[in-house]
Amino acid sequence: MTTMMERSASAPGHSAKRKPLIERLNIVTALALGTVSAVVVWQLALKFMPDNADTAFFFNREDKISLLSLIAWFIGFMVGIGALIGPFRWLLGKDLNHDENMFYAGKDQGIKRYFRYTTDHKVVGIQYLVVTIIIFFVGGVLAMLIRTNLGHAQGGWIQPQTYNAIVGWHGIIMIVATIIMITGPFGNFVMPIMIGARDMAFPRLNALSFWLIVAAIPPVFISFFTGGITTGWSAYNPLASQAGLGMNGYIAFICIFALSTMVAGANITTTVIRMRAKGMTWNRTPIFIYGVVASVALALPAFPVFFLSQIMSGLDRAFATSFYNTTGGGSGWLYENLFWIMGHPEVYVILIPAVAALMEMAPVFTRAPLFSFNIAVMGIGGICGLSILVWAHHMYISGWAPLLSAPFMITTELISIPTGMLFLVLIGTIWRGNLWMTMPLMSIFALLWNFMIGGITGIYLSDVPADAFLHGSMYVTAHFHYTLMGAGLTGALASLVFWFPKMTGRMFDKKLSWVAFWLVQIGFNVAFMGMFLVGLAGQPRRVESYAAMFSRGNLITTIGAYTIMAGMLVLLHGVIISWRSGIKAPMNPWQSKTLEWTVPNPVPLENFDVLPIVTGDPYHYGKAQS
Amino acid sequence: MTDIQTPQSAKWWKKTDVKRVFLLWIILTAVIGYVGSEVQARSMGAPASEVMASVISLIRIFTWAAAPVAALVAALAITALMEKRHYGDNPPPDALHQVHTSPRVNGLWMAASTVLCLFALIVGLIVLQKDSASLLDAKAMNVNVTGQQWVWNFDYVESNGVRSADLYLPVNKPVVFHVSSKDVKHSFWVVQMGIKIDANPGYVTETAVTPNKIGVFDVRCAELCGLLHAYMQTKVHVVSQADYETWLKSTAVTQGAIS
Amino acid sequence: MNKRFFAALGTVILGAAVIAGIGTYVASAKNDSRVLAATAAGTMDTPQGNLPHYTLDISVYPDAMFGGHGTGGGHPDWVSYGPVTNFTVPAHSAITITVANYDGGETLNNDFFGKIRGTIGGTATLNGETISSVAPDHVGHTFTVHGIAGEQSELFFSVPMKAVAEEDMPEEGYTKTPNVTVFTVITGDEGEYVWNCEYPCGDGTIAKFGNAMSSMGYMSGHFNVVKA
Repeated sequence: MTTMMERSASAPGHSAKRKPLIERLNIVTALALGTVSAVVVWQLALKFMPDNADTAFFFNREDKISLLSLIAWFIGFMVGIGALIGPFRWLLGKDLNHDENMFYAGKDQGIKRYFRYTTDHKVVGIQYLVVTIIIFFVGGVLAMLIRTNLGHAQGGWIQPQTYNAIVGWHGIIMIVATIIMITGPFGNFVMPIMIGARDMAFPRLNALSFWLIVAAIPPVFISFFTGGITTGWSAYNPLASQAGLGMNGYIAFICIFALSTMVAGANITTTVIRMRAKGMTWNRTPIFIYGVVASVALALPAFPVFFLSQIMSGLDRAFATSFYNTTGGGSGWLYENLFWIMGHPEVYVILIPAVAALMEMAPVFTRAPLFSFNIAVMGIGGICGLSILVWAHHMYISGWAPLLSAPFMITTELISIPTGMLFLVLIGTIWRGNLWMTMPLMSIFALLWNFMIGGITGIYLSDVPADAFLHGSMYVTAHFHYTLMGAGLTGALASLVFWFPKMTGRMFDKKLSWVAFWLVQIGFNVAFMGMFLVGLAGQPRRVESYAAMFSRGNLITTIGAYTIMAGMLVLLHGVIISWRSGIKAPMNPWQSKTLEWTVPNPVPLENFDVLPIVTGDPYHYGKAQS
Repeated sequence: MTDIQTPQSAKWWKKTDVKRVFLLWIILTAVIGYVGSEVQARSMGAPASEVMASVISLIRIFTWAAAPVAALVAALAITALMEKRHYGDNPPPDALHQVHTSPRVNGLWMAASTVLCLFALIVGLIVLQKDSASLLDAKAMNVNVTGQQWVWNFDYVESNGVRSADLYLPVNKPVVFHVSSKDVKHSFWVVQMGIKIDANPGYVTETAVTPNKIGVFDVRCAELCGLLHAYMQTKVHVVSQADYETWLKSTAVTQGAIS
Repeated sequence: MNKRFFAALGTVILGAAVIAGIGTYVASAKNDSRVLAATAAGTMDTPQGNLPHYTLDISVYPDAMFGGHGTGGGHPDWVSYGPVTNFTVPAHSAITITVANYDGGETLNNDFFGKIRGTIGGTATLNGETISSVAPDHVGHTFTVHGIAGEQSELFFSVPMKAVAEEDMPEEGYTKTPNVTVFTVITGDEGEYVWNCEYPCGDGTIAKFGNAMSSMGYMSGHFNVVKA
C-alpha cells in the first residue's frame, strides 16, 4: 500500500498495475486535503480579494471569502476521499478493472473499508447508521441546552444570539438526521437484499451520497463558531441575509446535503425499479420498499429547489443580488415559497419510510398478513401526490396570497384521507394478531398514539382561522415533533432493533430496548403535551425567554425532555453493548419472510450466491383466507 | 391455540372482542372528546373577540369530530393488546382467522374519512369567509402597525399622527390593521383576539378584528426576527370609546408626530 | 444483572455530564456578563408622588475599545454602549439616566424613534436644554427599553441620542464634547426587560441591524427591575 508514495496525490489514476491511488485514499486524506484547500483558499482570498467598494450596500467581502473557503473544503474533501477517481479514469478512457472494483467494494479489508470510499451497500448502510447516531447525539445535546434554558421563565442562562444559534442548529441537524435515519442505514443495508439484488444500481453513487453528507457536516459545525445559524432551521430571508458569517456554513451545508439526497434518490429509485428479483412483481414487493422509494422519489423534485433557494441566498449575501431583498426588488416571499416547496414534501420524506418500516414489522410481530396491501400502497402514493401541492399552508398568515388560503386548506386536509389509510393498515394487521411483545411491536402502538395526536393537531393547523391563532406558537413545535419524532423517530428506533441482527450479526439487548422505549415514549409525551398547552396559551416559538404564565408548561416539557435524554442514552448504551458483545444472532431471529433474512450473518459481499426467485408476497402468515 | 377459537357461525358483532371494542369506543370517544376539547379551550383562555371565540369553537368541533376516529383506533389497539400477548425469544404461532383485506372495511374507512375531511373543510371555510369579510368593513378604524427589530409601533391613521408602542383600541369598534416591517419579517399576533399576520418588509398586509372585551391583552411577535425576538412584545389596552378619546388627546400632546 | 444495570446507568450519567459540560461552556460565552446597578440618590417628586430616586450613568462610543470591552470583546471596532450593557434598577422608583453620546449618526429607519417616549413628561434634556424629540436625520443612537408582555408591569421608554456633528468627530480618539441626554423614567413592579438601540448602526446587512446590533453586549443588553 505504501509503495507508491513518490506519486503525487494530485494526479489520480494511472496504470492499474502500479497499485493505484485508490488504496491510499481514506477519510484521513480527505480531511487533510479538505482542510488544506480551505485554509489555502481562505488565506489567498484574504490577501487578494478586493475590498468592498464604498458604494456596496452589503458588507460582503467576508461572505465571499467564507463561501469560497467552504467550497474549497468541499472540493478538497471529495478529491481526498477519492470520489473523482472513477470519473477521471473514465475520462482518460481507462475504466476501473475488476480488481479495483473489488477493492472499491471493500473486499477483505476488515474495519478499514468503513473509512474509505467503499461501494458495498452494506458498508454504506453501516456508515450511515453510525453517522446518523452521531448527528442525533449532537442534535440531542442541543435540544437539552434549549430545554434547560427554557426550564424557568427568566432567560439569560444562554444569551439570546447563542440561544437562537442553538435553535437553528438543533433544527437543521435534526431535520437532516431524520431525513437520513431510515433511508440511509436501512434503505442502503437492507433494501437491496430485501429485493434480492447483489448491490445498488450505481454503487459508486451510493458511496458518493454518503461521503457528501460527511463533507457537509463540518461547514455546519464551523458555522456555530462563526456567528451561528441564528435564523432557525428555516433560515428565512431577509433575516438570513442579516445574520453573521455562520449563515454561509448553513448555505454550504444545505447545498452539499441536497446533492447527496439527489444522488441517493436517483440511485435508490433506479435500484428498486430495475433490480428486483425475478418474480418480485409490484404486488409482491415488500411495503418497506414502497416507503423507501416514495421517500427518495419525493426528495428528487424537492431538494433541487432547496439547493437553488440556498444558492440564491448565498448570492444575496456575497454578491449583493436581491432575490429576497425587497429594497432591491426581491421578496422574502420568494424564499418562503422555495423553502416550503421543499419543506412540505420533506416532512413526508421523513415520515413515510418510518411508517412503512413499521408496516413491514407489523406482520412479523403479529404473525398475521399485512392488512390491505393495496390500501397501504395507495396511502403512500396518495400522500406523495398531495404533499407537493400543500406547501403554502406554511404561509397562510404570511400575507403572500390570502386568496390561495382556501385552495391550500383543501389540499392539506385531503392528506388526512391517505394518512388514514396507513392507520387502517396498521390497525387491521394488529387486530386479532398473536402479538409478540418486543420493542418493535410496541413501537407500532407508540406510532399509532403519537401519529394520531400529530395528525389531529395537523388538522387544526391546516384550518386557516385556527392557524391564524396557532401559527408560530409552541403548538406548531409540539405538532411537528409529534409527527417527526413521535412517529418518524419511533419507526427508526424500531427499525434499528429489528434489523440490528442482520446489520451487526448480534441481537439488540432486549431489556435495554424496553427501558429505552418506555423512557423515550413517556418522556416524549410529557414533554410535548406540555408544549401544546403553552402554545395554546400563547407562547411563541423560538423564544429565549417567556412570560411567567408559561412557566408550568415549560417546566413539564423540560422534565419530559430529560426523560427522553435518559432513554436515548440507554438506547445508545444498548447499541454499543449489543454491537460489541451481544448474543450472536441466528440468520432469521424474527422468523420473518422477507428476503434479507434468507442470507447468512455476516452477509456475504454480493449477498446471494444464487439470486432468489420470488413466488409469493412476503406476508403469508397464518391461514391464507377465512 | 384453540382458546381463541370462536365458532365461525357466530355473527361478527357477537364476538367478545368486537363487543369490547364497541364499549371502549363509546367510552374513549367521550373521554377524548371531552378532555381534548376542554383542556385545549381552557388553555386558550377567555376570548377577547369574536374571531378568537370562533377559533376556540373550531378547535372544540374538530376535537369532537376527531374523537371517534382516535377512539376507534385506540379501542382496536387496546383490545388487540389485551387479547393475545406472547413473550419470549421465539415467535408465537401464526395467527388464525387472518384476513388479507376486507373490501367492506376499506370502503367504509375511506368513506368515513372523506366525510370527516369534508366536514372539517366546510366548517373551516365558513369561518374563513367570515374573517375575510371583516377586512372590507368601511366603518372600521385603521391602525398602521410597524414591526422593527424588536419593537412594535402603532400609528392611528384617523388621529393626526398619534403613535404609540403599546396599542390602544376602543371596545366594540372594528379595526383593520395594516402591517409592515422596517427590516426583517415579524409576525403581529394579538393573542387573545386570535389574529395574526406577518409583517413583511416592503409590503403591507392586513388583518381585522373587533375587540369585544375591555381589558389588557398581549401582542407577541410570532416569527423569529433575530436577537431580541422573545422580547418583541407589547400590550393592547381595550378601553371604552370615551377613555379612548381621552387617551388620544393626552397622547397627541406628549407623543404626537414630529413636526 | 446488577452489573449491566450500573453500566447503563453509567452511560446515562456520562451523557448527562457531557451535556452539562457543553452547557456550562455555551452559557459562559457571554460578550458582557457584568451588571451595573443604579446608584441611590435620595427621593424625587414625580407625577406619581415622591419616589425613591436612583441614577444611572452610561455612554455610547463609536467603537468598543473603552470600558469593560477593551479589545477583549472580540469586536473592538463595533459600536458599543458602556461601561457595561446590563443594568439593574429598583422597582417603583424614579430612575434618572444620563447618556453621553460620543458617536455621530445619520437617519433613522423609523422616525417613531426620533421622539422621546415613556419618560416623565415625554421629555429629556439634551446638553441642559429640554427637548421632546430629535430630528430623525440627526440621531446617533437610541436607548429603547421593552419587555415581554404578560404579568409583569409594562415598561417602555425610548430616547434618541443626538448625533455628534461630523465636523466635531476627531480622526483619532473621541470627541471632547459628547451630547449628553438626561431623562427620568418611573419603574413598576420587578421584571425582566431588555434594551436595544433603534438607530441602524450595525453596518452592512439588511436594515443595518447586523453585527453589533445583533449581539448582546454592544447595542443591546438586559435592563432588569429588581426589588428596591
